[in-house]
Amino acid sequence: MSGESASAIQKGQVDLLDFIDWSSVECLNQSSTHSLPNAIKQGYREDDGLHLESDADEQLLLYIPFTQVIKLSAILIKGPEEEGPKTVKLFSNKEHMGFSNVNDFPPSDVADLSPDNLKGKPVPLKYVKFQNVRSLTIFIEDNQTGSEITKVQKITLYGTTVETTDMKGLKKVEDH
Amino acid sequence: MVLEATMICIDNSEWMRNGDYNPSRFQAQADAVNLICGAKTQSNPENTVGVLTMAGKGVRVLVTPTSDLGKILACMHGLKIGGEMNLAAGIQIAQLALKHRQNKKQQQRIVVFAGSPVKHEKKMLEMIGRKLKKNSVALDIINFGEEDEGKTEKLEALLAAVNNNDSSHIVSVPPGPNALSDVLISTPIFTGDGEGGSGFAAAAAAAAAGGVSGYEFGVDPNLDPELALALRVSMEEERARQEAAAKKAAEEAANQEKGGETSSQDATMTERASAATSEAENKTIDLMDDENALLQQALAMSMDDPVSSHDVKDTDMSEAPADDPDLALALQLSVADGAKDSGSQSSDTSKLLADQSFVSSILASLPGVDPNDPSVKDLLASMQDQSEPEKKNDDKPSDEEKK
Repeated sequence: MSGESASAIQKGQVDLLDFIDWSSVECLNQSSTHSLPNAIKQGYREDDGLHLESDADEQLLLYIPFTQVIKLSAILIKGPEEEGPKTVKLFSNKEHMGFSNVNDFPPSDVADLSPDNLKGKPVPLKYVKFQNVRSLTIFIEDNQTGSEITKVQKITLYGTTVETTDMKGLKKVEDH
Repeated sequence: MVLEATMICIDNSEWMRNGDYNPSRFQAQADAVNLICGAKTQSNPENTVGVLTMAGKGVRVLVTPTSDLGKILACMHGLKIGGEMNLAAGIQIAQLALKHRQNKKQQQRIVVFAGSPVKHEKKMLEMIGRKLKKNSVALDIINFGEEDEGKTEKLEALLAAVNNNDSSHIVSVPPGPNALSDVLISTPIFTGDGEGGSGFAAAAAAAAAGGVSGYEFGVDPNLDPELALALRVSMEEERARQEAAAKKAAEEAANQEKGGETSSQDATMTERASAATSEAENKTIDLMDDENALLQQALAMSMDDPVSSHDVKDTDMSEAPADDPDLALALQLSVADGAKDSGSQSSDTSKLLADQSFVSSILASLPGVDPNDPSVKDLLASMQDQSEPEKKNDDKPSDEEKK
């Protein structure tokens, strides 16, 4: 596993930050003072002092839709050693998920984060399971020490876009 | 301008037939619902409101969250009263309706009208509350109508479990001449979080109140908002001041007792003085007896100067927080010093202070003071140094080493 992850980000895989549909991003159980943008937005996520924090208990549920269909190959989750996330379940194209029905669907992939991963080593995912992703739901089930609060400093998604769905490019051609 | 989706849970149980709210509980509630819907949809054009009923044959969603005010108002007509309210199911279904809202940017809020007894366990409500909090849903509770045992307590427990950053509120409305909606309009449920009241709420209040002289201070808050605000602020300050005075009086009474013990002076005199002072404190609350109290205090002071001067000193110092052990010790020492200065009783006191076991037993009896604490021990040792030269200078230094 560790041998693979060194080359987790293969050639051609890019940061999918630019393809996130920010207007519909949602995070459940986030603390209002430490919200999702701290972990996911450009600039904020590079600052370790700014982090996403859970509120009522240790679980977090993130819903990230994309502006176009993407293929996801790896995910990077950075967090503090103690309160960093441990079990992370990923679901593709599941809308309207809540904590109550999170166990009703089999996850597309489950990542068990090691301390190395929390320091910034990307976790490779089952590439074949994420070939046609319009939205991604990340369920952080628990954290390293089992404490009440989970903290996430940075989330980065690596993958590629599916070229044929670049609608913006198509429209431009029609306009001319 | 909070962007939010709201579900309003209406209580349409048999309890709503009661006429203690004008014209009936159910009509009063319907008015309040209309008002809330109006306020919510006008505070932000993208806000949506839905309505469900909690009683009857089961929880029924009348309107899923929509921004069409007409739809909401129309659904309120022809509602049937019947059955018993199921609060837990109502809240959970409201949460489900909010979860499937179109615009994920909207904050979620549930407004519950609870006018009939709550039959659910407190624990169950708290569990639901925590679930709401986890799903970042805010909850406003309007507690009116039936007042059975534990209803308020249960609702408050539910609210405490949900509350996050004071975004959730509870309002208890007792029956009275004022309409339910008039009372609600000045609550945070309408005015939102720290926004000081939306224009709509103010306008609605004016319309609803139109000519009725039911204002809090006899001043129309719409005609002169600054005056109304000033009145309200001064009212709050006065209440805080009275509370502080009562607290201080209680603390002083406790301190007087302590002071009387430690200085071990003429017991009856001290007791009388402290009794007079604490009595005076009690009386200052009653403004009518203010002068009488001052007179008594003055009398007590003139009776015996050295004793009462200690008490006055005590009174001044006890204004500082009394839970600091160091401070308590310092206070005690200053009382002892004063006793020494006051002449006739000085030898008694210094003897007593020289008695290590006596002093440490007193210290042990004081709350929050540990006689084995090194700093306290140091102080005791230095105290003895002070008192010993008075007796004789050639005392053994081994005493210090022991400490």
